[in-house]
Amino acid sequence: MGRGGKKGTVTPRELNPSPRLKRGPKMGKRRKMKRKKKKTDMEELKKEVVLDDHKLTLEELSTKYSVDLMMGLSPERAQEILKKNGPNALTPPPTTPEWVKFCRQLFGGFSILLWIGAILCFLAYGIQVHYKEDSTKDNLYLGMVLAIVVMITGCFSYYQEAKSSKIMESFRNMVPQQALVIRAGEKMQINVEDVVVGDLVEVKGGDRIPADLRLISTQGCKVDNSSLTGESEPQTRSPDFTHENPLETRNICFFSTNCVEGTARGIVIATGDSTVMGRIATLTSGLVVGKTPIAAEIEHFIQLITGVAGFLGVSFFVLSLILGYGWLEAVIFLIGIIVANVPEGLLATVTVCLTLTAKRMSRKNCLVKNLEAVETLGSTSTICSDKTGTLTQNRMTVAHMWFDKTIYEADTSEEQTGKTFAKGSTTWFILARIAALCNRADFKPNQETLPIAKRATTGDASESALLKFIEQSYSSVEEMREQNPKVAEIPFNSTNKYQPRQEFCARRARIKAGACKEMSIHLQEDGSQAHVLMMKGAPERILEFCSTYLLKGKEYPMDDEMKKNFQNAYLELGGLGERVLGFCFLNLPSTFSKGFRFNTDEINFPMENLCFVGLISMIDPPRAAVPDAVGKCRSAGIKVIMVTGDHPITAKAIAKGVGIISEGNETAEDMAARLQVPVSQTNPREAKAIVVHGSDLKDMTSEQLDEILKNHTEIVFARTSPQQKLIIVEGCQRQGAVVAVTGDGVNDSPALKKADIGIAMGISGSDVSKQAADMILLDDNFASIVTGVEEGRLIFDNLKKSIAYTLTSNIPEITPFLLFIILSIPLPLGTITILCIDLGTDMVPAISLAYESAESDIMKRAPRNPKNDNLVNNRLIGMAYGQIGMIQALAGFFTYFVILAENGFKPIDLLGIRLNWEDRFFNDLEDSYGQQWDHRGCKVYRGHIVCHHHSLNEETESGKTLRLAPRPRAHP
Amino acid sequence: MTKKEKRSFNQSLAEWKLFIYNPTTGEFLGRTAKSWGLILLFYLVFYGFLAALFSFTMWAMLQTLNDEVPKYRDQIPSPGLTVFPKPVTALEYSFTVSDPESYKGYIEDLRKFLKPYESEEQKNLTACSDGALFEQKGPVYSACQFPLPLLQACSGVDDPDFGYSRGSPCVLVKMNRIIGLKPQGMPRIECTSKSENTATLSTYPFNGVIDLKYFPYYGKKLHVSYLQPLVAVQVSFNATSSTTNEVTVECKIDGSPNLKNQDDRDKFLGRVVFKVIARA
Repeated sequence: MGRGGKKGTVTPRELNPSPRLKRGPKMGKRRKMKRKKKKTDMEELKKEVVLDDHKLTLEELSTKYSVDLMMGLSPERAQEILKKNGPNALTPPPTTPEWVKFCRQLFGGFSILLWIGAILCFLAYGIQVHYKEDSTKDNLYLGMVLAIVVMITGCFSYYQEAKSSKIMESFRNMVPQQALVIRAGEKMQINVEDVVVGDLVEVKGGDRIPADLRLISTQGCKVDNSSLTGESEPQTRSPDFTHENPLETRNICFFSTNCVEGTARGIVIATGDSTVMGRIATLTSGLVVGKTPIAAEIEHFIQLITGVAGFLGVSFFVLSLILGYGWLEAVIFLIGIIVANVPEGLLATVTVCLTLTAKRMSRKNCLVKNLEAVETLGSTSTICSDKTGTLTQNRMTVAHMWFDKTIYEADTSEEQTGKTFAKGSTTWFILARIAALCNRADFKPNQETLPIAKRATTGDASESALLKFIEQSYSSVEEMREQNPKVAEIPFNSTNKYQPRQEFCARRARIKAGACKEMSIHLQEDGSQAHVLMMKGAPERILEFCSTYLLKGKEYPMDDEMKKNFQNAYLELGGLGERVLGFCFLNLPSTFSKGFRFNTDEINFPMENLCFVGLISMIDPPRAAVPDAVGKCRSAGIKVIMVTGDHPITAKAIAKGVGIISEGNETAEDMAARLQVPVSQTNPREAKAIVVHGSDLKDMTSEQLDEILKNHTEIVFARTSPQQKLIIVEGCQRQGAVVAVTGDGVNDSPALKKADIGIAMGISGSDVSKQAADMILLDDNFASIVTGVEEGRLIFDNLKKSIAYTLTSNIPEITPFLLFIILSIPLPLGTITILCIDLGTDMVPAISLAYESAESDIMKRAPRNPKNDNLVNNRLIGMAYGQIGMIQALAGFFTYFVILAENGFKPIDLLGIRLNWEDRFFNDLEDSYGQQWDHRGCKVYRGHIVCHHHSLNEETESGKTLRLAPRPRAHP
Repeated sequence: MTKKEKRSFNQSLAEWKLFIYNPTTGEFLGRTAKSWGLILLFYLVFYGFLAALFSFTMWAMLQTLNDEVPKYRDQIPSPGLTVFPKPVTALEYSFTVSDPESYKGYIEDLRKFLKPYESEEQKNLTACSDGALFEQKGPVYSACQFPLPLLQACSGVDDPDFGYSRGSPCVLVKMNRIIGLKPQGMPRIECTSKSENTATLSTYPFNGVIDLKYFPYYGKKLHVSYLQPLVAVQVSFNATSSTTNEVTVECKIDGSPNLKNQDDRDKFLGRVVFKVIARA
């Protein structure tokens, strides 16, 4: 990473060129260029943030931004920059007005079919009125009903979805209002919008950071970057350059993150949209999201049904012309047939079915924001899951201990049941005391009733873990602390001369912020007035202080064997992805008895030849239900990919723990270790699992990423940045997968938005992520996703049944009309009665199919392939129209003939009497027995026919669902 | 952008071609010959079976039918009234007195209709006694005579033009046949013109009486040469001077408590309204 940034990457400041550049020479070209510009912008946003300000020395920084590090900018200069760069605010994306959204609901997808139907109806009515005075109003009614149905369902789905899509607003909520800047040596409170690049800004605990800052001086400053990086622990900030990656270095603070404690001063290096947060916000709101699978399915369905309707309509148009009808009549028939093919009730049925499932899912902790997303989860073939909080419990817990040369396992389950270990050992007693006393964490007051594991604590995650662990498995920490008052301490985050070392070990041992070591001195509880010095910290550092070790309560001089044992234990625990702490102590000689004034700045007491006690390792353990859920996903053919900002070893350990890397599968590195050959010699194809590091991912081309996604079934991405998450999602989508992404941080929001279904966390999730997502897991539990998948698949199956059910009634509705045309029999089923059937009696049973329970193998089959496994395919249409529809139509006709025959009109006499039957003034229609009927009599009759006709249909249909294969497999 | 579209168009064209005939798999429209054969065979057998089933059930149903009387007769408890001849448009008799072509159709229809009522045709029919229902036990059912002269001026005997050429046309009013209908009381057809002064109405037979001897009717098959009782209405306009005379006539069944003549939904139940327009 060079100073100027690599080719193909951009510094944030270059992203906002002055608007003048955009102006093209010709008006015509301008728009095109603008669009192109926007596209390249998006591409650039997907790349990594490249900053080099954190590497600059303070002098360089001062020159770069031409600012005095003590006095700040002059107000005039600030004004100038403000004018040039614009205000420090997030630009909202061009919003679509509400009425456009409403119209989209009203005219999109399925509705368009019904609208066309309605228009055709009005057209037919118009023709009839124009050429015949005494025309029936059937077509008018039909048209109106269709229009009303579309409008009602349109309003319904608009209402359902109006609540979502407030991404940019939620981002803006994160931005602070005021900022404290120093201009021309004067501190002043200004609006955040007026902060400019180069401003000298001061922040203190509780503030939101007003822009991206390069820190120049700090006092115990800690920031909470959780919204940006997903790491929940506050992180220390100092003016020193500690990491190549700007997201990890200590001397940069990010726009809209929180300063938790301390104060800091820094120079603004980016404002508004060019900040890291701004880039994420722009990226998120600017992403173009693809169609949901169900929308694609409905489109496919419309094509099919239009094809069928058109084919039938045109062929009968031709036929009726051949039969000698006038062209006008033929046109009316054509329209009639096309409209009769439109399943009027289906739109409402689908909407209601989806809503019902959405309701059911929300009872199972999956809150669905977008109705169509209900089904998406069922089609999901890849889940990119976040680790922290989703797969894990999101709290550090003591997992292992090593003392007396043995590794003991602690209980990490959520309920804290079972497992005990050698609590009788004296070493355990001492270890527990150190862990309890040399610990700054404490329980927050008033939670005595809660189980220990659930109590809230102050202090960082590892100390809290220790505190809870000791409280649980040893005795009350509070009592211990009372009996052994603390006399002096050197805490984690002190800014003393040990600082550089801390950094060293922080990186070596992967221990966060200053966990290198902590020392405290306590009064002995036995009343001997003596003091004991206790220390905990990174194991190898602790070992350096020790000359003896404790075994079963007795001190032995440190020897090579012990060191070897220690190394093995340390490696083993580290290999489990756990955070390891070492513990040691020293009984101070009597010269340091009670009353001695310990000075922690200029150390006036011995700090060597301590006695090593043991190791305690901690991990954020997986949730209990997760391994099972992952197993279910796997058997359901869903690939689970872990994407985490955490370290590869921890990620891998958790992945193994929850089954994302299944037992027996190994990565290329594992294989190399087993075969004892270098990694380069192993065949990466043989390794099904892989752990990809974010820094490797950064240099990969998309082909390489495709290669990885294709060839490995078990993938873990570690140390990934927000942009990389997005790249991974896009990679999966390139493979044709339907991707679900879980995430909670702001950093996840681009991926959440891009994913086919974004799943945000209800408890730990940030507001932004919830806005960007399609679904919210109310209990943050991965296992709920599995329930969601099941529900999604179920609704797909059930929708199939509903649609098949609705479609079958099309044939018994159309055939009477066709026979009416061809054979001139009295029309058995009128338009209005068809409407009653479609929107009345047929809708309820169709909706009831949404309550069908799942097939037993619903979670055992592979996810459907969106390309050829459609909601409505030829097979379903063939079955609904060709087979079941035909049976129903025949049954209907049989009833029709029976009723007419039993009342006097024998079937043979019905042929050709259409005109007389329909004629209002033909009032002596003679039946087969010589009786004469007036027009009204005929009409009353039709009502009866319809009733019977339909009730018979219902009977045939109720048996039908049993036979309807829920999911026609591959075509024969 | 256009390049891409073009390619995709070519691609889709190629896809279509492949769909219509795929030389590698021998698939035609997505199926191989064997698959097509099988599916056609299936539908052939399936529809064949359905057709057979349908025919059988229809046959069985027809077996249950009585040839003489329909199974249900509750749909028409009370007869409707109709007029004859049937006007060209709706229920408007419109003609020009001076133009015989304009009423030729009516006269022909009437003649044809009254053919069975001529005396030669009625020779074999029974001369029933007036004023009582003519109930029969079978197995042979005889029909009562309806002497054409009962219709007097409208019988076509004296005036072969049924009054049309004189501007006072005859219209026949008849009650629909209903099997087993037995009217009570003294049924008669009463006709009134909506505007008393323009035209006077004469009904034949006298007072529009329908004799009970024509009831009950036993159906087409049993009651072979049954003659429906008729009532003729002659419309005579008072003011012959004006060029166009127009009158609306309403006829109702009256005098029989079990024959309804008022139904909101059925305008022809026991009543009929027609219009006569005679141009000079």
